[in-house]
Amino acid sequence: MCDNTNKNIYLPYLATVAEVIDETPDVRTLKLVFQDDNLRESFIYRAGQFAEYSAFGAGEATFCIASSPTRAGYIECSFRSVGRVTEELRRLEVGDTMGVRGPYGNSYPVEEFYGKNMVFVAGGIALPPLRTLIWNCLDQRDKFGDITIVYGARTEADLVYKRELHEWQERSDVRLVKTVDPGGNGPEWDGKVGFVPTILEETAPAAENTIALVCGPPIMIKFTLPVLEKLGFTDDQVYTTLENRMKCGLGKCGRCNVGNVYVCKDGPVFTARQIKAMPMEF
Amino acid sequence: MQKYISQQNLTTLLDTLIKQGTRVVAPHMNAGVPLYEPIQSAADMATGQLPRRSAKEAFFPVCEDIMSYEKEGQRISLKDIDPARFPETVLVGVRPCDAAAIPVLDEVFSWDYKDEFFLERRKKTTIIGLACTAADDACFCTAVGLFPGETKGSDLFLTPLEDGGYACESYSDKGETLINGNKELFAEPTKTKALSLAEPQTEKIDLKKVKSWLDEHFEDPLWDGIATRCVGCGACAFVCPACHCFDIVDEGTEKAGKRRKSWDACGFWKFTHHASGHNPRDLQPKRYRNRIMHKFKYYDDKFGQTLCTGCGRCVRVCPVGIDIASIVEEISKK
Repeated sequence: MCDNTNKNIYLPYLATVAEVIDETPDVRTLKLVFQDDNLRESFIYRAGQFAEYSAFGAGEATFCIASSPTRAGYIECSFRSVGRVTEELRRLEVGDTMGVRGPYGNSYPVEEFYGKNMVFVAGGIALPPLRTLIWNCLDQRDKFGDITIVYGARTEADLVYKRELHEWQERSDVRLVKTVDPGGNGPEWDGKVGFVPTILEETAPAAENTIALVCGPPIMIKFTLPVLEKLGFTDDQVYTTLENRMKCGLGKCGRCNVGNVYVCKDGPVFTARQIKAMPMEF
Repeated sequence: MQKYISQQNLTTLLDTLIKQGTRVVAPHMNAGVPLYEPIQSAADMATGQLPRRSAKEAFFPVCEDIMSYEKEGQRISLKDIDPARFPETVLVGVRPCDAAAIPVLDEVFSWDYKDEFFLERRKKTTIIGLACTAADDACFCTAVGLFPGETKGSDLFLTPLEDGGYACESYSDKGETLINGNKELFAEPTKTKALSLAEPQTEKIDLKKVKSWLDEHFEDPLWDGIATRCVGCGACAFVCPACHCFDIVDEGTEKAGKRRKSWDACGFWKFTHHASGHNPRDLQPKRYRNRIMHKFKYYDDKFGQTLCTGCGRCVRVCPVGIDIASIVEEISKK
């Protein structure tokens, strides 16, 4: 470091892998505890923010912080192994060290959601950016109205956070509607069969005093937004998070922009109104 | 503060600085290629040709370490960068088109999070600009609102005179300090005539008009027309004084290695390629559009500045003859 006022913004914090959870054959969750005692207390983040995770020697990868800020002392990330960094992160075992830079980006305006009904709509691996907020809401349950979660994946095996899905299903203060694509259901399947937008339409949550949060592959979002519109949701009632390839996460390296909007700084959380104002470059 | 410095005294000034341990970076010939690089003697300075790459690398190197790591068992230790990496520097003989880009880059590296790699070097560097007396047919500084005597970005600015000396004007505290610390080498301004400045053969482009067209034409046949021949080599970004996109990569083994920050280019397919296989800028016209948009709209939206100083390097190096000046001119006439 050059002096007391300047610090190397690219230097990650070190964290220990405290738990490894396999969500699906290729999606894994890591529970991370910062090695610096003070940082465990001082690392404050909000639901919706992301971080850069290092596998030293391979590089950094960008994912949301999947845990809820209401749970102190650790953070979690969930990722699919698809590239060099995620393959290396997947090799980490309990007790191993990895790097974390963050928290970065904007967040859900949680306080503005107080008193409202919440509808979460997620597809496949895109549940983590909503799961942070789902637990945030559940941990402050009396601050929110009805909570509905519509979650789907191609097959039963592709559903992430299965333990939590079970927990949400058991709770009387959450309505979980889980679904798999036609053909993705096994003999034991107790959920719906159908694509997320269809199942959402069938579930028909009331739009009045409700916030909808949508996260999933572009094709799912494309077909979900019109359904919400049909159900009476305005573009200001609908939120999503965008992802783009990032390197710095700090508004400098120049690659995550959609038009003049920088996903790393202006996002990753956007309303449907903001998304519709962007050029089609995502 | 206006002064005069003779050719002889400029040589003495640079040699004295080098002797005192100041890093002096100047255009010089490296195996026949003019580049801005540290020199060991004032005699090595060669200002005759426009350096092949811009002066930005004095602040933002092609590639640099940003930390190193070492693994022992399950523990990893990180090593931050030694502050000695950023020595006191005098950057001399800088073309106005190169110097003008530096304060433009200050914006991105200092807004919100501070990039100390750029900013520490910036703090420790005094820029001595040199008025430009020779333009070629790729130069277009005058088209983007600058000119061969532009002093933007310079702490001291030298204008060559007919007697071989220079009129010297200071534009910052750093410039004053340099003069005051070497008073005996500077004389009062003379009446000697200045050499005539370069005359790039370009008309001023209305950049406001360009921007307002870009505001409305994210989708336009123009992009396909220009960029079908772009081969995505990225050379334009690498020679540009204002392009600043970068990559962060690890180099080493699992046991030990370095994390490095290196120049990148929005013309590369991989620049925006997601691990999932999705690529929001999957085709070359989309990438070329981003290049123009970033320079003449996005950076202006965000920082009120244009990311182009008209040095013409991208025009000279483009293997397929894409000429950004004529594209922007064409847009301004739409």
